[in-house]
Amino acid sequence: MKNTIKVERAIHSLTQEDLAKKIGVSRQTINAMEANKYVPSTVLALKIARLFGKPVEDIFELSEED
Amino acid sequence: MSNRFLFPHRFKMIGWILFVPAVILGLLTTLFDFTPFEWDATVFAIYDGGLFESSKVMTLVENNVFDEIVGITAIAGGLLAAFSKEKDEDEYIAQIRLESLLWATYINYGFLLFSILFIYGLGFYQIMIFNMFTLLFIFLVRFNFILYKSARAIA
Repeated sequence: MKNTIKVERAIHSLTQEDLAKKIGVSRQTINAMEANKYVPSTVLALKIARLFGKPVEDIFELSEED
Repeated sequence: MSNRFLFPHRFKMIGWILFVPAVILGLLTTLFDFTPFEWDATVFAIYDGGLFESSKVMTLVENNVFDEIVGITAIAGGLLAAFSKEKDEDEYIAQIRLESLLWATYINYGFLLFSILFIYGLGFYQIMIFNMFTLLFIFLVRFNFILYKSARAIA
């Protein structure tokens, strides 16, 4: 799965730390998601989408391997 | 979302404070027969297998409790250090935790299989003593290494 978290984060000028605090996860999680090393749970994906004010599909997208 | 079988975060530091000295003392004792003090106490034994005398069952026996204290401290400290929540325990950390536990179990039994095949006599007895603590030890190393690495990786 691919995502645009890093881009969205830049648009809202948030650091990884800021974003982690806002959605209540560790900085490791943000880092791992941005590096496509971790696929978040539905709950976490929905929280991220809500924070950026976009539908989940605008931020998360299936990739070839999925 | 986070695991309800974990200890609160504040126990983590207590765990490390118990675990590290206990492991150092335990290694010194096992490898170099280092005994800072002898504390012979009367303890209740369900079973005490005698080496040159008959075994005792369900009775009080005299025993130097130094190694018991070190062993219990290492296990209790290790459990607390390993299974206390991180400050921001979440789903990704839970995943690292589980993977590390699986990883540690494989490595631990890998070592043990190797030792069964190639280590004999009293050496194997020593390995068995180490083996009581290696699962926790390998878990702690792997889990904390991955946490550290994924916190540092620059996005």
